[in-house]
Amino acid sequence: MPAVIQVENLSFRYAEAKKYALKDLNFSVEQNEFLCIIGANGSGKSTLCNALMGLIPSYFSGKMKGKVTIMGETTSETTIGNLSKKIGLVFQNPFNQLSYTTSTVEEELAYGLCNMGVPRDEMARRVKEIAKIIRVEKLLKKNPLELSGGQVQRVAIGSALIMKPSVLVLDECTTQLDPLGSEEVFDIVKDLNKDGVTVVMADHDMERVARCADRVLVMSDGEIIALDTPRAVFENEELSKHGVDMPDYIRFGIALREEKLYEGLSPLTETEAIIIGKELVSL
Amino acid sequence: MKIEVQDLIHTYPSGETALNGISLVIEGTTPVAVAGQNGSGKTTLVKHFNRILSPTKGRVLIDGVSTTERSTAQWAKKIGYVFQNPDDQLFLNSVRKEFEFGPKRTGIPPEKIEKMLPIVADLCGLGDKLEIHPFDLTATEKKFCTIGSVMMIDPNVVIFDEPTCGQDIEGNNRLISIIRYLRNNGKLCITISHDMKFIAKNFERVVVLCKGQVLTDGFCKDVFAKPTILSQSFVSPPPICRVALGMGLKQSVFETEELVGCIVQNMKRRNKK
Repeated sequence: MPAVIQVENLSFRYAEAKKYALKDLNFSVEQNEFLCIIGANGSGKSTLCNALMGLIPSYFSGKMKGKVTIMGETTSETTIGNLSKKIGLVFQNPFNQLSYTTSTVEEELAYGLCNMGVPRDEMARRVKEIAKIIRVEKLLKKNPLELSGGQVQRVAIGSALIMKPSVLVLDECTTQLDPLGSEEVFDIVKDLNKDGVTVVMADHDMERVARCADRVLVMSDGEIIALDTPRAVFENEELSKHGVDMPDYIRFGIALREEKLYEGLSPLTETEAIIIGKELVSL
Repeated sequence: MKIEVQDLIHTYPSGETALNGISLVIEGTTPVAVAGQNGSGKTTLVKHFNRILSPTKGRVLIDGVSTTERSTAQWAKKIGYVFQNPDDQLFLNSVRKEFEFGPKRTGIPPEKIEKMLPIVADLCGLGDKLEIHPFDLTATEKKFCTIGSVMMIDPNVVIFDEPTCGQDIEGNNRLISIIRYLRNNGKLCITISHDMKFIAKNFERVVVLCKGQVLTDGFCKDVFAKPTILSQSFVSPPPICRVALGMGLKQSVFETEELVGCIVQNMKRRNKK
C-alpha cells in the first residue's frame, strides 16, 4: 500500500529568517497510522504541520526545497482547496481556525461544508452530529467570539472533523482544554483512527503520546532525531537533552529496574503501570 | 496580602451566571493553583481580584477593602493579571516598551524600572530580545513577555491565567523559577492551570472550581486523593498519582521516586510479617 503522506528532502526557510525551520526531512506515513510529533518549542513541529497541509509553500512565504505528497498529490502543485478535501488541520491557536465570517457556532461548523457546496440537509445533519461529538450542542447559537478558550478549541476541532478528512493533522490542539475534556477529544481522534483516518498529531503531553501513537517522530532544531515506536523513543534517556520530557510511566519502569524490583519493559500506559505496581505490592 | 471572597456571584450581561456563590480566603505568599473544567469560572473568579470584573452579588475584599471602592487602574498596582491569550495583552512595538509601559504608568521611578528590567527580562528568558517586536516572538516567548510586563509593575499579587499551555520542559522550568522568585520576594502567585502534573509539583494548595462553585479546596495531596470528586469538574490527578491510587495506596504520591519508595516500604512490611 502506498504511503498516505510522503515527505522527501523537505527543507523550509521562512521569508526573512536566516535559519531553516525544517532541514532535509524524509519520512512517510502509512494509511491508518497514528504518528505523533514531539520536540521542544521552536523545533519545527508547527512548521511541519503547515507543510503537510500545504500551507507551506502556498500561504507562508519562504524558500521550500524537496516535496510533500498527500495521497498522491504534490502539495506545491495543487491548491489548498483541493488538499482540504483530503486532509484537515487543527491549528495550535484555535482563534486562527475561525473564519471570522460567521455569527454563530452552527454557521462556523458548517463553513467548510458550505464552501464545498454540500446540500443543506446534509450540512444540518453533520453539524448536529459533530456538535454532539465535541459537546458544543448548547453553544450552537452563540457567537464564536463569545466563547471561552476551551470552547473555541472544541469548535476549531469540530470544524476540521466535520469535513471527514482522510488525514487529520492536529497541532497541539487541546492546550486550553480541561484534563478530562482533552482526553475526550483524544478518544474521539483515536476512534476516527480506528475507523481508518490517518492521524498526525503534535503534542506536549508525553503520557498521551505514549498511549496513542503507533510511531513517534522527534524534532530538534528543524531535524528529525528519532522516528520509532513510543517505547523505543521514550526509553532513550538522551531525549531530555532535546527538551522532550519522558512519560512518567516510563520513568516509573526505569526507577523500578534501577531498584532491581522489576526486569520487564517499562509501562507505556497508566493501566500497565498499575498492573506492575499491584503485582509488586501484593508479593 | 489577604484576598477574601464572600458569597461571590457573577452574571455576565448575556445572562450567563459564571460564579454562583464562591467564598474563599487566600493570604500569605504560598502559591495557590486554581483548576477546574472549561467554563467552571476560573478566569471570571480571578478577574475579580483587581476589579477587571465587579461582583453581581457578594464581595471581594483586598486587605479588608472592597474591590468596588477603587478602580481597576488603582488595583493593578497591587494585583497584576496576566491574560490567558497574549494577543489580548501585547500592543507595543518592542519587548522593552511592553516591559516599561506598566511601571511608567503606575509611577514607578525610572531608576527602579532600569534596575528591575534586566532581572525580569532574564527570568522571562527575553534578555536578548528586548528590541524585538512582540509579534515576532514565538507563542511561548509572547507568554513570557506578558508575564514580564506584569511583573515589572511589581504588584504584591501576580495572577497567571493558564501559563502552562503549550510549554515544553524549558518553558515549564522557567515558569517554576518565576513562581519561586515571586514567593521568595514576598509576592503571592495565583495560577490557573489545566496541567495537574505542574500543579502537584509546584503548589501546596489547589482550589478546584465546578460550575461556578468551589468543588474542593485544600492541600494538593488531599485534593488529588479524591479522583471521583475531581472528575465532576473534568479534572484528574496527575499520572503518578493515578498509578498510586490505582494500586490501592491510600496517600497521593506525585513523584516517581516517592512511588517507588512506597513500593519498597510496602514490600519490607510484608516481608516482616
